[in-house]
Amino acid sequence: MAENKRDDSYIVVKDLNKYFYDTPEPMKILEDISFTVKKGEMVCLVGSSGCGKSTLLRAISGLDPSHEGTVTVDGKEIVKPEKERGMVFQEHRLFPWLTVEQNVDFALTGMDKETRARLVKEHLELVGLSGFEKSYPRQLSGGMAQRAGIARALANNPPVLLLDEPFGALDTFTKITLQNELKRIQQKSGTTMLLVTHDIDEAVFLADKILIFSERPGRIKRIVPVNLPAPRDRNSYEFLEIRKEIYNEFFN
Amino acid sequence: MKSAAKKAGYLAEYFLFLILILVVWFVMDGMGKLNPVIMPSPSKIGSTLVSLIEKGTLMDNLVVSVVRVLQGYLLAAGLGVVLGILIGLSKHLDRLTALLIQIIKPIPPIAWIPLVILWFGIGESGKVFLIFLGGFFTILINVIDGIHQTDAKLIEVSKSMETPFFKHIFKVVIPSAAPNIFTGLRTGLSSCWMCVVAAELVSSTTGLGYLIMNARQFGKTDEVIVGMLTIGIIGKIMDSLLKLVEKHLIKWN
Repeated sequence: MAENKRDDSYIVVKDLNKYFYDTPEPMKILEDISFTVKKGEMVCLVGSSGCGKSTLLRAISGLDPSHEGTVTVDGKEIVKPEKERGMVFQEHRLFPWLTVEQNVDFALTGMDKETRARLVKEHLELVGLSGFEKSYPRQLSGGMAQRAGIARALANNPPVLLLDEPFGALDTFTKITLQNELKRIQQKSGTTMLLVTHDIDEAVFLADKILIFSERPGRIKRIVPVNLPAPRDRNSYEFLEIRKEIYNEFFN
Repeated sequence: MKSAAKKAGYLAEYFLFLILILVVWFVMDGMGKLNPVIMPSPSKIGSTLVSLIEKGTLMDNLVVSVVRVLQGYLLAAGLGVVLGILIGLSKHLDRLTALLIQIIKPIPPIAWIPLVILWFGIGESGKVFLIFLGGFFTILINVIDGIHQTDAKLIEVSKSMETPFFKHIFKVVIPSAAPNIFTGLRTGLSSCWMCVVAAELVSSTTGLGYLIMNARQFGKTDEVIVGMLTIGIIGKIMDSLLKLVEKHLIKWN
């Protein structure tokens, strides 16, 4: 496919079909998924729960590589997890026995102590967690823990960051703050991000491109580009127009 | 101030039954209802305790028993933790050993005594082996369980970062299993402590088990009880010490 794809596609998902076999009948979870993501793009996968969008994200991460079709990043096929693709999950998944800074440091391998310390410090600053270096995860609020999780995923500067409903369990205020910060971080770092969500506002606020999923088996129903300039105003007319358009894809 | 009162209340609860038993014991004795051969008075127990301490008998036998337990226990803990981690990590090792472990584990250490005497004679090594048996399987099984229970979600995190193997084992798997490992180490220690008495009851001329058995033969019930209480109290102290270590090491909970 590389020969006729002489464009700026960075992540390419092609003809992906996925079945679950732990049911009496094999169940089709994802059907004919094909899309591309440009380098530095922020793409949101929106769909109701159970539509397979998280499964797709796991396929791209390499955590669940058994499927038909291919996923390539920068021309390389994905068959296993690699640190070039950072993961942020809905739960913070911090190691409870490590402090915040140890958790971020955990992601870093193969560099000297000073570099690691510097990267830890930088990324904790980036997510606004300076001063909590020595705290254990149980001492953090949900939002702070999620920030630490993001810092950990970003620490070794992965070109791709995959986020699976990262703000799904947070209250509205924390959620909006973290969305703002994620957008800022994404623009600053230029990281290519794929974010799974069922929150339409979140998708319109964050995404350059929104993939709308239909329910079981999950198919891409529509791809909606979001060409709103930053900073995005959640109450602007254009924002609400796109929001309505997506809303109508689900409820009409 | 209030919290001090509360603390005193907790402490009272903690000691309530112990004190109650002592009171009943004293009252029964005062009413002349106790046959000293079957149940000596608390004051008799006290004076026997003092005399056994003064003669050095108690200390000598206690030290002998504690040393035996430590030898067997350290062996059981070392092998139990290392093998437990290996078996917990390897599905092959797990399948290879599971049946054997499940069959040997229910055999009480006491049932091993005849074999142990045949294999080791009545020397020290046989006793240490028996104590080792007492702790080993408890520790092994708890460690295996702990490793198996490592949160799959945290394993995924570690995988997604391509964590090197040994870092994954030492920073994810073992810390995650640490609470189970400690449960194993603590129950293991208490079974070792029970086994030392069993070992000494059968064939020994030293140790707390011997002290009890010997006292029984001479009808010295008071010494039997002093021996029993010593075992109980030392067992409790050893467990508390391990608990302290656990609290210090697992401070994230």
